[in-house]
Amino acid sequence: MDRGDRRGPPLRRQDVLDIEGVSHVYETRHRRVEALREVSLSIREGEFMSFVGPSGCGKTTLLRIIDGLTAQSAGRVVFRGVELTGARRDMGFVFQDINLLPWRNVRQNVEIGLEARRLPAAERRQRAIEALRMVDLEDVAEVPPYTLSGGMQQRVGVARALAIDPQVLLMDEPFGHLDNFTRETLQIEIARLWAKLGTTVVFVTHDVDEAIFLSDRIALFRGRPGRLTRVIDVDLPRPRWEFNVRAHPRAIEMREAIIEYLGVRADGQG
Amino acid sequence: MAAVVAVLGLWQASGLFMNPIFISTPAAVLAAFVRIVADGSLAQAFVSSLGEMAVGLSVATAAGFAVGLAMGRLRLVERLFDPFVSFFNATPTIALLPLMEIWFGTDVRARVAFIVVICVWTLVINALAGARNVRRGYADVGAAFGLGPLATMWKIVIPAAMPYLLAGMRVAMAQATVGMILGGQEVGESGLGGLTEAYGSFFQTDYLIAAIITSTGLAMLLFGLLKLFQRRFYPWIAATAAARR
Repeated sequence: MDRGDRRGPPLRRQDVLDIEGVSHVYETRHRRVEALREVSLSIREGEFMSFVGPSGCGKTTLLRIIDGLTAQSAGRVVFRGVELTGARRDMGFVFQDINLLPWRNVRQNVEIGLEARRLPAAERRQRAIEALRMVDLEDVAEVPPYTLSGGMQQRVGVARALAIDPQVLLMDEPFGHLDNFTRETLQIEIARLWAKLGTTVVFVTHDVDEAIFLSDRIALFRGRPGRLTRVIDVDLPRPRWEFNVRAHPRAIEMREAIIEYLGVRADGQG
Repeated sequence: MAAVVAVLGLWQASGLFMNPIFISTPAAVLAAFVRIVADGSLAQAFVSSLGEMAVGLSVATAAGFAVGLAMGRLRLVERLFDPFVSFFNATPTIALLPLMEIWFGTDVRARVAFIVVICVWTLVINALAGARNVRRGYADVGAAFGLGPLATMWKIVIPAAMPYLLAGMRVAMAQATVGMILGGQEVGESGLGGLTEAYGSFFQTDYLIAAIITSTGLAMLLFGLLKLFQRRFYPWIAATAAARR
């Protein structure tokens, strides 16, 4: 479905993912750390939702909890009405550190989620190549990942997540380690992919402009323990790669509001 | 290279004023070497020692990696094996040679068993460390994309631990060479160890040194094969080593 011409957030869409009173506490040798306190949020079918906040506010922890990589201390994650436990096979995860396996070539890296689903080799290969085509990298399929630039590696990371045809795409500061030019290119690429595929995306970032450019809604996190304190609708027209979002008056207004809201108290020092 | 030539020169010159029983001379060693190559005794010793090491190292590697990797992943296995690994790693394993003779008799089985017990602990400990130190990001990939425990072991843990496993093998090969020589000297005078024992007791220093250098050559051959194996099958280890944190 092509939603390149859609205006505003999908208000009438159904909730697909409900986060209900999720808290996370862990113990280190020295102290007890409360990372996340009673976060509740509903994410709608097909929407692009961003978690924004300073480092240490628990947004990555919440993303890992949604994917089952970290177990919450309290609360529930409900996906299409079913409470989730353990790791999810139907969600794709894109890591900040990319984490391509150096002992596999690019295609084999993209195939790993398909191997877990026990697909036959020929079908795995075909779907991996398709996923690589989506990020324009099918010609480096047989190359070791560490020979690629950081931006290309992260596109492989995106292909790996897309290859399993995920119900939800979870992205943890995927462009955090990339330079500004690469980052902007990939933002546009992600916006186009999302417009084309219509997958529900949950995207963690501390870059406010990035969140405004990509998102339908932005959830703001702050404090320690991290709490979700506000959700903002990004009421900018789409497709946003067709105009200068950063110079749009509404975007400027939102940006100022977000930065002021996260402001001094949001540096994690309280 | 120049340093090696200089040392060889000095060594040869020392023969002019020192009793050749002490360190002999390069020329005499070379002559001895040629003679034991020609009569086939060196080749026979080399092959039998290589065979013992190959079997001993294979058994030790299979057992050591299996135990170490399982210990690294399963709490129960670690609890079970940890006291023994700690104990034997601290034991001077050379002292176990007479025990191997008692268990297996004074023949090739005792020598191979000795090679196993002398190097297996290193392999266990390296495999354990490798399984423990899988980068969290790699483990996350396995979990996020739904690999089961067995697939995680084969597709994530073992490849990620490969630098540790190969480093362990390198140390184990050096230990196994010591075990091979000592076993050959003490158990039935066999192989390269047997040659050193025999030449030593007759003060045939030139032959003794030829046998020692051949033993070094055998160890270096194994190191070289391991290096080739790593380059051929795990090129990513060298390629990513510099970029790793």
